[in-house]
Amino acid sequence: MKLAWQNIIHDRSRFSVTVLGVSFAVFLMVFQGSLLVGFLRAASRLIDASDSDIWITARGVQAFEFGTTLESRVREMAAGVPGVMQTDRVCMAFAVYRTPKGKQQVVALVGADPNVGKRFPVPDVPELAGEISPDAVLYDVSDRDLIAVPALPTEVEINRHRASIERQIQGYGAFLGVPFLFTSYRNAIRYLGFGPDDAMYVVLRVSKGSSVADVKQSLQERLPEVDVLTRDEFAHKSRMYWTIKTGAGGAILTAAVLGFLIGLVVVSQTIYANTMENIEEYATLKALGAPRSLVARVVLTQALLCGTVGSILGLIAVIPVINHATSLIPWIYMPWWLPAVMVVPSLTMCSLASIASVRSALTVEPGRVFRA
Amino acid sequence: MPKKHLPSTVYEDVTELPPSRTARNRVKRAAHSAGLAVEDQLEPSLGVDEARSSRFLGVEGATVSFGQGDARIWPLRGVSVMFERGKLSLVMGPSGSGKTTLLSMLGCLLSPDEGSVFVDDVLVNQLSETEKTAIRQKKIGFVFQAFRLFHSLSAIDNVALGFELRDPKQSQRLEMARQLLDQFGLGDKCNQEPNELSPGERQRVAVARALAGDPPILLADEPTASLDAQAGRNICQILRNQVDEHGRTVVVVSHDPRWRKFADRTITLCDGQVEQEERNL
Repeated sequence: MKLAWQNIIHDRSRFSVTVLGVSFAVFLMVFQGSLLVGFLRAASRLIDASDSDIWITARGVQAFEFGTTLESRVREMAAGVPGVMQTDRVCMAFAVYRTPKGKQQVVALVGADPNVGKRFPVPDVPELAGEISPDAVLYDVSDRDLIAVPALPTEVEINRHRASIERQIQGYGAFLGVPFLFTSYRNAIRYLGFGPDDAMYVVLRVSKGSSVADVKQSLQERLPEVDVLTRDEFAHKSRMYWTIKTGAGGAILTAAVLGFLIGLVVVSQTIYANTMENIEEYATLKALGAPRSLVARVVLTQALLCGTVGSILGLIAVIPVINHATSLIPWIYMPWWLPAVMVVPSLTMCSLASIASVRSALTVEPGRVFRA
Repeated sequence: MPKKHLPSTVYEDVTELPPSRTARNRVKRAAHSAGLAVEDQLEPSLGVDEARSSRFLGVEGATVSFGQGDARIWPLRGVSVMFERGKLSLVMGPSGSGKTTLLSMLGCLLSPDEGSVFVDDVLVNQLSETEKTAIRQKKIGFVFQAFRLFHSLSAIDNVALGFELRDPKQSQRLEMARQLLDQFGLGDKCNQEPNELSPGERQRVAVARALAGDPPILLADEPTASLDAQAGRNICQILRNQVDEHGRTVVVVSHDPRWRKFADRTITLCDGQVEQEERNL
């Protein structure tokens, strides 16, 4: 194994090129992966933020952003289904926002009842009582430039109604290029012109001991004119809509898949080329009587050392870049498992590429050592 | 019994050679199918030593071809040459005469289309690649015209690798490598890499590597072709000493006429056939 290590460190420029190739590949894979994961996460962020078991939507709603109103009786009927513990309402619609200086901006206004979820950004929750008014409007810090308020609180207009922007939140930035604003449900329907009993989504929690699947089935039987989905089903539906059916999601998905494939090809090509440059030495090893297992070990060790060092450097480079990118792409997100998910196939490709090159090394004609 | 009907052969000690049980069983099966006990494989007209000597190292009726159709060439055509144990044999001949092809066969690196190859009394044509590798590992040291040292390893590590390949469990390999390099006057160059050594020094390191593990056979392909006169003479003398002092069998392929005075026997190949054989010493 000393030969493997010495081969690597002896020719530092070649090692650097190999490591650079692997680093670039890992960087590309993790960055594109973070874009895709962040996009998917953002596509269902508000659904995931609810502490709910079941969502009722109008028939055929594909994503959270494109809901339509439900009849008021839906909530009442749902509340009467055995196993339903609590019902809350959520609405979302586009509205015209006007800054104090008169600048206009389309916004996505989200309103929700206070019990929808602890992570769901609404103002009228006990935790914020006394800090902001129950009908305050919240916005994400990444949308600061679009919202353009000089200080908090600031009086603005939403659909020609007076509104008070009172707090910045984090993690719910613009996903559609249109900033989200969050407020209480009763305030939101006032801005949006909904009736007092209208709802866009009815969000349910199932009582302890009840089966979510059974309750969902009962709801669907009782309310055949609406869609009844578990939270995860609606989140998945929303993600698939944005990923598959929209150009933006398709482009990100394609870029991520291409990034992954290109990364793997770069890794494979780099490792393969590195092995082939040493092919004469492997022929010599074989001629001297090295068993195939030893030649294979040398090649694999070199490949995995290059792959590991390259992967580590790639990750070291990509983490600050992703952190920095959040100012431009607020929804980009690198979960802790993503580097592992990308590095494992990258190292696997190192191994596979080295196995392909091992084949060359193992089948190299040892008699070539006699050529001057 | 006619010579060509002899089965795969280990003339003295079947339990020692060939190296693997599979190969030994193959020899036994071949002997049995020929109606012989293993001990009966000796030619009736030869004693044990004579038989060992006659097929210790060499080829019989070896024909080798490369390429196909009109591009096909025959580097060797039915060549039979046996090299004597404990002698330095020189193989000469013009370019393309088949010298290196012959050496490749003796080194178990190439199998003939027809004919037999014997290495340390073993008919190696029938052995698997793994078994041939084991023979190269245990029995043969190689010296190449282009040295073929591992450029990333120091001189001592190159020689130690030779020990490691022959015996992976050898824990004293660095010490033994140092001793070998000392013997060849390279004690102060142990930690230098090949590109820091002169061509003559590189070839001495290569010879030391070839001798690591004490192989009985040394095959050298144009070992002095890349060296100046003085360094070439040194290598000639070193290989001659391996025969005189250690009883090794050395086969040298070379164009260099200086080798004649160091060789016991000279075989001249021409157009893939033996043109001349002469005894020098």
